[in-house]
Amino acid sequence: MQVIEYTTLLVFAVPLVILLINILLPRQLAEKSSIGLAYLAPLVQIVATAAGLVQIAQLKQHEFAISWNLAGAVSVRFAVNVFSLVLLFCIGMVTLAAIMVANRTVPQKRAGFAGLLMMLIVGMNGMVLVTDLFSLYVFLEIVGISSFVLIAMFKSDTGLEGAFKYLVMSVLASIMILTGLAFVFMQTGSLQYDQVGAAGGALVGPGAPHLALMYTAMALMIAGFAIKTGAVPFHSWLPDAHQSANTAVSVLLSGIVIKIAGIYGFIVITNFFGRLPGIDLTLALIGTVSIVVGALFALRQSHFKRIVAYSSVSQMGYILLGLSTGSVLGLLGAVAHVFNHATFKSTLFTNAAAVHEQTGTYDINELGGLEKKMPVTSFSSLAAFMSTAGIPPFAGFWSKLLIIMALWNSGDWVFAAIALIASIFTAAYFLRLQRKVFFGKLLDKFAQLTEIGGSVKWAQIMLTVVTIAAGLLFPFALRYFGGIGIL
Amino acid sequence: MGSEVLLVCICVPLFGSFLLPLLGMINIKLRNAAALIFTATAFVCAALALPEVLAGTPLSLHYELPLGLSFGFYADVLAVFMALTSSLVATIIVIYSFEYIKEYDHQNEYYMMVCLFIGTMMGLVFSTNLIFIYIFWEISAICCWRLIGFYREEITIRRANKAFIVTVVGALIMLVGFVGIYGQTGTFDLAAMKGTHLPAWIVILILFGVLSKSATFPLHNWLPDAGVAPSPVTSLLHAAVLVKIGVYIYARLFVNSFEIDKVFTVAVPIIAAVSALVSAGVALRENDIKRIIAYSTISQLAFILLGLSSGTEIGVLGGLLYILMHSVAKGGLFLCAGIVEHTLHTKDITKMGGLYKGMPLTALAFLFCAFSVMGIPPFGGFFAKYLVIDGIISAGNVGLGAVFIAGAVMTVLYLSRLFIKVFLGETVSDAREAGSPVMVASVVVLAILSVALGISIHWPSGFASLIGGGI
Repeated sequence: MQVIEYTTLLVFAVPLVILLINILLPRQLAEKSSIGLAYLAPLVQIVATAAGLVQIAQLKQHEFAISWNLAGAVSVRFAVNVFSLVLLFCIGMVTLAAIMVANRTVPQKRAGFAGLLMMLIVGMNGMVLVTDLFSLYVFLEIVGISSFVLIAMFKSDTGLEGAFKYLVMSVLASIMILTGLAFVFMQTGSLQYDQVGAAGGALVGPGAPHLALMYTAMALMIAGFAIKTGAVPFHSWLPDAHQSANTAVSVLLSGIVIKIAGIYGFIVITNFFGRLPGIDLTLALIGTVSIVVGALFALRQSHFKRIVAYSSVSQMGYILLGLSTGSVLGLLGAVAHVFNHATFKSTLFTNAAAVHEQTGTYDINELGGLEKKMPVTSFSSLAAFMSTAGIPPFAGFWSKLLIIMALWNSGDWVFAAIALIASIFTAAYFLRLQRKVFFGKLLDKFAQLTEIGGSVKWAQIMLTVVTIAAGLLFPFALRYFGGIGIL
Repeated sequence: MGSEVLLVCICVPLFGSFLLPLLGMINIKLRNAAALIFTATAFVCAALALPEVLAGTPLSLHYELPLGLSFGFYADVLAVFMALTSSLVATIIVIYSFEYIKEYDHQNEYYMMVCLFIGTMMGLVFSTNLIFIYIFWEISAICCWRLIGFYREEITIRRANKAFIVTVVGALIMLVGFVGIYGQTGTFDLAAMKGTHLPAWIVILILFGVLSKSATFPLHNWLPDAGVAPSPVTSLLHAAVLVKIGVYIYARLFVNSFEIDKVFTVAVPIIAAVSALVSAGVALRENDIKRIIAYSTISQLAFILLGLSSGTEIGVLGGLLYILMHSVAKGGLFLCAGIVEHTLHTKDITKMGGLYKGMPLTALAFLFCAFSVMGIPPFGGFFAKYLVIDGIISAGNVGLGAVFIAGAVMTVLYLSRLFIKVFLGETVSDAREAGSPVMVASVVVLAILSVALGISIHWPSGFASLIGGGI
């Protein structure tokens, strides 16, 4: 059995087993041990996917089936390639950070949190690995439901409004996606990726049949996944959900859920239907508007988490722009940006948690000069924001560069120029937050402040190391992808 | 000497800088010594590379990456010239800093950022790839941002943010231009695309970067405001080294690598002329000692840009010499201003006067550096200024030559005014020589260098003409 087979088995088996143990354990014991147990799932996932990344360099693609016959008509088939492995790695990394934060910010219902988190991991891993659109939908629903409960379960914080908004929008998106799937099925007669792909290819060109049906399906699916992504104009739920969620859940939501539930859907769509006229332009427009509008909204906020949430909206725009090119370079740029965004956005929410735990507020107007008392938080937020703004040598620069190059190669130089210059808005809101929170004179009321300790601090250190290392070592990543034959 | 000397030159200050905060926690003296050693290493290594480079065998390192993103360093005469100039002034400024900032908070960050900046500068001058040039360019902006905000006052942080935003906007527009070059040539490697003709729109995009970093009109605004930084920072970043990045890239790209349209040999000098006159005019009206010198920097940078963009060999030679002379002399002026500010705790020249009595050495050093900036023979600045103006006139632009001569006259006026107001006249305060010996020695060294470089002009100009000949 090859390493990669263990990889793909482990990413399902470990969270499911932990979930089971979590349910079977006596309540008291589960409350105590569940978070510790939960660490296992992301750790295994990170190691397994890293090993898989080493092996996939020779294999290119690997297919496998769980329980069913690979050739059978009703089997759920799974496949991994290098991009899904990178996404799996991101899932592992962000959930690890989220558990580390939760260890501090989730005082009760720890067993419930851990259980839902395991479900969420299974859902996300499933989405990335399935090879037909219907299974994709099923796992998407698992992700949607478990993240709704995660947002809502700590309602003591600020009430249910954000969670409720998320539920409504999420269900709406699911209905749209499901209807879109039905239309695709009517058109193509199959939901298997390879057959859908072939049918999608046949749709291009003059005299193609039933295009209206196909475009309706596309409109529904794009709208649905855009809601899940939080792209403008479907973004309004995202900041509210973040504000009312526990910060550990925020790490999950912005760090990975919107990318797997939303962006991965776009990856699938563009992969099969990207050549339909108009799809690329639609994505590029949604992307550009998200970049600019998200960043402008972020400039006006004074709630730490809302700034970071709007920043997510803006960054999702870059990923959509990368996908809109339809080229491999664009896809690579988008996936690289998913990775980088997973890192720096988790860092920022971890920092939000640290600042809130130590000062009791998220309002940046009440903060000032924290860098002296909280050097780790301060430096990690600096690195993360620099990475967000695409300032080299931090990692975000490279993925943005790849996206810009892909746009330029496909002739969309207007979008490339807008995307690049819009980075300045990112720099602007980040400078504002830095000035108000960290960089500056320490306010007198914070004279007794101390740095956060324990797992949150380690999460910050881990993520910052990843951000800086990814930035400095990115040329090696390029060589890796070049070696596989992707570039 | 192998090419590895380049890696040492870049990596020691670049990565060494991150050790400084750790050393600072152990022992302050150790940290200071390490900062000095790292900076001096850059100078020594650049000097070690000199003989071979002068002998006509440039050193190079090259690693191929996908997508035309090669990674490499290349030391030709131009690069080594810039590296030597920057690291020499930087070393002196680090020594000066030991005394100047010893009583403030955040020293660990200060030395880290200064040292990181030197490493960045070395990386930038030796890089052979547009993307890596951009990377180093932006790291220098980060250093600049942290260092301007050194005092952590509300106003200093706003000014730091302003400098960061302006230079980053310029750099981003420049990056669009770089990607445009990539679209045309399929590579970011400078050697691979040598001699390519660049369309005008790409040149204009890159000029945004050059003008913002080198604080030239209309993107000059951040530089005078950046004077809220500690004086050694102003001296290092905003007079001697950082602001030369823009003009260096102009020389590297538009003189050394690409062919550009003839129209830019007129258009860029006109921008430079406006910049020189406007800022010289403002310098005549300001009352803040550091703002006067900052506006003077803007004005002098325009002279450098003029020389490099004149399209004549003699002008380019003048521009390069100007980079050296201005770095030394203007660095010295800011350091003198630092001593004055340190002593009187004010930057307002209307509250100064008669300081010559209390601090004769500083006054003399100031005067020497000012002479060099004014272009009084035999100080170094004279030769550079002469060659630059000769260059533009021999290119046929007598009118522009006249404008710049007017600019040079204004330089004499505002620097004389500054010197008279600060050092001569009625004594308003009884300041003794309060600058510590180390600080005074640093400015004296720079003043002596200003004279020495002028008297032995055959040496730097022979050096610079090798670059001109290479072009």
